[in-house]
Amino acid sequence: MTAVGRAACVVGVGETRYAKWGGITDASEYRLAVEAVLAAIADAGMSPDDVDGLASFAEDRNEATFMAADLGLPELRYASLSWLPGGGGACAAVANAAMAVETGAAEAVVVYRSLCQGQFRRFGQGPGNMPARVGPPRLPHLRRATSLLEAHVAFTMPFGMFSPPIAYAMVLQRHMHRFGTTAEQMGHVAVTTRAHAARNPRAVMGDRPMTMDDYLASRLVSEPFRLFDCCLENDGACAVLVTTAERAADSAKRPVSVLGAAQGAPAGFGYGQYANVGMPDDDYTSTGARGVATRMWARAGVGPADIDVAQIYDHFTGLVLLSLEDFGFCGQGEGGPFAASGALAWPDGALPTNTHGGSLSEAYIHGLNHVVEGVRQLRGESTCQVDGAETCLVTSAAGVPSSALVLGRR
Amino acid sequence: MTERWFPDEMPMPAANAETVGWWEAAAGHRLVVQRCTACGTTRHPPGPVCPRCRSTASEWFELAGTGTVFTFTVVRQAFVASLADKLPYVVIVVELDGSQGARIVSNLVEVEPEEVTVGMAVEVAWEDMGPELAVPRFRPAVHRGERP
Repeated sequence: MTAVGRAACVVGVGETRYAKWGGITDASEYRLAVEAVLAAIADAGMSPDDVDGLASFAEDRNEATFMAADLGLPELRYASLSWLPGGGGACAAVANAAMAVETGAAEAVVVYRSLCQGQFRRFGQGPGNMPARVGPPRLPHLRRATSLLEAHVAFTMPFGMFSPPIAYAMVLQRHMHRFGTTAEQMGHVAVTTRAHAARNPRAVMGDRPMTMDDYLASRLVSEPFRLFDCCLENDGACAVLVTTAERAADSAKRPVSVLGAAQGAPAGFGYGQYANVGMPDDDYTSTGARGVATRMWARAGVGPADIDVAQIYDHFTGLVLLSLEDFGFCGQGEGGPFAASGALAWPDGALPTNTHGGSLSEAYIHGLNHVVEGVRQLRGESTCQVDGAETCLVTSAAGVPSSALVLGRR
Repeated sequence: MTERWFPDEMPMPAANAETVGWWEAAAGHRLVVQRCTACGTTRHPPGPVCPRCRSTASEWFELAGTGTVFTFTVVRQAFVASLADKLPYVVIVVELDGSQGARIVSNLVEVEPEEVTVGMAVEVAWEDMGPELAVPRFRPAVHRGERP
């Protein structure tokens, strides 16, 4: 049992400016990470002198060890990186920070994510094994893999499955085959989310309204995904600060509780459908997060019917539909009709979702910005504020081992 | 050497100690799946231990090379610049006959994209990429027919 005074709270959120892919050239990705961390600390009314932990998730280039020194933290007592791939670990990183403060390993942990892919290589394009051929032509040959992932994607890349849209298009194709999910149902996610972004001054696509006709007219990328089914790619960073309820009592803003969190994947899910396709059909045609949902709801002591607002990871519209199913807002195969009913729309839908505009329309910061928006909702600070919101579901990437949490108003 | 279906700039596969046997079999145009010697369970991609009985003993079980389209996508954007001339191309997940349900990612060739369906019967069409490297692509099975 967690001591009452040590219950984890989010007391600070910070964001840099968000820009289109390659749009930030006057600051490094690392500097943006530092700026976001400092902003979250300032938002909490705290100082870097109060921070003793840093947490992030998969493949973060911005190492906590260097950051601790550069921020001048008095002592680094906790540093962790979630194994969950891609955007699967955003909620897990927050949960890890929460566990650290609840166990007393640390007093205040900042979780961060910074992305400036233009300064590096495009995310999700495999393990860097696609250089243009240099030098004289040579016969194709089998190479020695330098990582487990590289050996695994050898079973996908030679077939032109280079990029997440291709992998997850096949998941939605199977979902359509089994359940009759339609393009228009996915379009409801894109159009609704864009409408939310129009109210959010941080949203990269805030000034680009979208109708269903616009959605249906967008070009096919990898069937059934159109361009507007795919999230943005952005430059920017955000951070959240987690500390104990006792310390949160002094914070500048209203603290938000982490009611419950969970992470993981079902048996045989591997890296998710990006690199594994042999899991049972019901898991292939899912986010892989049903177990995460079950454990998260149990720990949080609430269920889908108790949720006032949701921030659901939206790298692809179709996977939002699958998340709605797997987190229990509707049955398997019913995500499309649920979205098409208008349920996701603020302010009148049954489950206003991605009220900041999500990765489809605010910014793609691997879903840590979804946690930030969840905190805003429970503080009453969202640009699409749900009146009296007391609970918010936040999920991380679908289709990879993932994580989720429920935030609650204190 | 068969004609190369994708341009030369495509990434070449990489293998580790667990997967190299699969690629060696492929070079000889044998489509195989790793099978646990102790309990007979198949697994793909290859790995060091049986997830069912945890035995580390395994063998390569040769398949007939036929299967069924489990799902597919028609790719219409060149995620690698040199693929622009190849668009659209079809990526499939194929469930391999006689493999206890093992699936692999591949391409469906010799087909019009709009003809591809879930459940389509397919057969392997080997492509030699070099003297010691081949990849299994698939084409519609000669005796076409829908499977459940």
